[in-house]
Amino acid sequence: MGRTILVTGGSGYFGTVVAQQALARGDAVRILDINPPALSADEAEYVAGDIRDLDTVRTACDGVDVVLHNVAQVPLARDRDLFDSVNVVGTANVLVAARDARVAKVVHTSSSAVFGRPESNPVVEDARCRPVEAYGRAKLRAEQLCHEAAAAGLDVTIVRPRTILGHGRLGIFAVLFDFVAEGSPVYVLGRGDNRYQLVHADDLADACLRAGDRQGPSTYNVGAVEFGTMRDTIQALVDHAATGSTVRSLPTGPAQLAMRGLATVGLAPFAPYHWLMYAESLFFDTTKARTELGWEPRHSNASMLIESYEWYLAHRDSLGSGSHHQSTVRLGLLKVLRRLP
Amino acid sequence: MTATDQTLPANVVVTGASGWLGQNLVRALAGERERVRCLVRTDDDASLLSVVGPTIEPVVGDVRDPAALDRLFEGIGSASVFHAAGVIHPVAKMRELFDVNVGGTQLTLDRARRASVVRFVHVSSNSPFGTNARPTDRFNEDSPFDPYLGYGKSKMEAEQLVQRSFDHGDLETVIVRPPWFYGPHHPARQTQFLSAIRRGRFPLVGDGTQQRSMVFTGNLVHGMLRAEVAAAAPGRAYWIADAEPYELSDILATITRALAAEGLDVTSRSPRSIPRLGARFAETIDRFVQGTGRYVQAVHVLGELNHSIACDISRARAEIGYDPPTALFDGMREAIRFSLANGDAL
Repeated sequence: MGRTILVTGGSGYFGTVVAQQALARGDAVRILDINPPALSADEAEYVAGDIRDLDTVRTACDGVDVVLHNVAQVPLARDRDLFDSVNVVGTANVLVAARDARVAKVVHTSSSAVFGRPESNPVVEDARCRPVEAYGRAKLRAEQLCHEAAAAGLDVTIVRPRTILGHGRLGIFAVLFDFVAEGSPVYVLGRGDNRYQLVHADDLADACLRAGDRQGPSTYNVGAVEFGTMRDTIQALVDHAATGSTVRSLPTGPAQLAMRGLATVGLAPFAPYHWLMYAESLFFDTTKARTELGWEPRHSNASMLIESYEWYLAHRDSLGSGSHHQSTVRLGLLKVLRRLP
Repeated sequence: MTATDQTLPANVVVTGASGWLGQNLVRALAGERERVRCLVRTDDDASLLSVVGPTIEPVVGDVRDPAALDRLFEGIGSASVFHAAGVIHPVAKMRELFDVNVGGTQLTLDRARRASVVRFVHVSSNSPFGTNARPTDRFNEDSPFDPYLGYGKSKMEAEQLVQRSFDHGDLETVIVRPPWFYGPHHPARQTQFLSAIRRGRFPLVGDGTQQRSMVFTGNLVHGMLRAEVAAAAPGRAYWIADAEPYELSDILATITRALAAEGLDVTSRSPRSIPRLGARFAETIDRFVQGTGRYVQAVHVLGELNHSIACDISRARAEIGYDPPTALFDGMREAIRFSLANGDAL
């Protein structure tokens, strides 16, 4: 395409994926992140800095055609102040800097967390947003800012992904992968018959780039087309791994209480979004993204979970630090669960 | 209106721009003026407000800080001032009320005079006038000062400064007196208020026949914009409220209906009733606590709920063409939609 694309959060898990895809299709890439990027200096220009600092964001937006805004504190951060300052104020900074730098298009990566527990599934773009925890509320407020900026003339499109997976994605999934690799039983809440949709990072990156090419503000819900229940998805991984793991049910109420209790005292790596949503059905109607953007996801729930697991196996001994989604989490007391026969 | 309006200045200065009223006002001005110079408290507020549009020029600082006020007025050219900065509920100490509401007004008046601004619209309150002796009484612009506790005193002193500035020929000033207001961009305490009503937990003091004037932020902004240009306004003060006062029990019932109209489950039980004696007791405590220089918001609110605070907007209608289009049900629905759009836990 030959355009200059700024990827905010371009050193994080998803940011790296979308930066690589932009590069692969011929865009010039600039990365704004507090951490140095995985891409080399030949591949991408790097602006080191904090999204909370407007002057830094202005520097990063200078001479850019499209901004793909991915900086966010994810639920694992469990820090309400960071949700407000990074996810809300950071988004305001991007919108203001992009407007003043006459950027042609901003694509804001939001989250399905804005919907909380949806009134019904599948969830369409204009379904009512009723976030249930601090992360979702902050992401919704960021979306409101996007609407306000769009009303004032900036071309901003919102892309809402379901839970992101793909090679290199860890975060809370590291818990699941660790259990499966060890052949320990893995757990679903209740019968695990809630339909839970994931999205592959490659598919999401494709959607974001397509959204960046399309003129006019819009909103897209993005998720896999092939997905099943929570139990189906995890069963597919367990079958693939063949380590002796089995899928077991935990009673939903007590398990949520335990997740919350362990997290509160710092003994397990869960955030409110996890215990509130793990047992809920949440899946998007992706018709709008497919028809308007010509987007077709290539990965199913099962295939991306397996791919992520394989990547984890290949790299588990060399995993370093990075953003929340590029790092493993401390298992804490969950180690006890892992030793159960 | 008998005379034609003044010409609209290209620029405006807004203090308290990130506050509840300020955010509504700034959004009304952003698309209409060349420059909307906004005094905000933090860098975060500056970023959030800047999203509204390219005409927004935030200046980060405190209304008590002379250097911040210098920056606020620097090179502003032909401008009106909307002085909306103020503290209603001090964090803990009464001192803050006087420092901000009186000291901040003095400073803003001074810088406005030096910048030769076209007009100075000062946001006052019902509080310098106390409470109505009878529910059917109405405040008008001839009502004498009778300030209700610390906040009332601070806003009275601020009004006196503004009036003196006009009397000395320093500035064209207009005072607007909004009562209890409601509308979008409300702070967290209003979300808690709506949530309490939804759950039937907001107290109904006495039989609920107390009368209260309220003002929808959209109405208030309309009144302020009229005050900015109306030929009759300089040197005058105006009550700016919804068309008619409401009875307290009606207010609670209307808000409950508005919540239901926005699709929220509301309680079917009637609001918790508190005898007037309880509210009088709260007021006594409030007076005592404020006398020691401290402030407890819940006690203050409960004490004030016992009273009728209602006004007559005839003068604003006649002299500046104020005509409030919105009443409680529709205005509250807009406020509730704002909360829902931002994911507030109602």
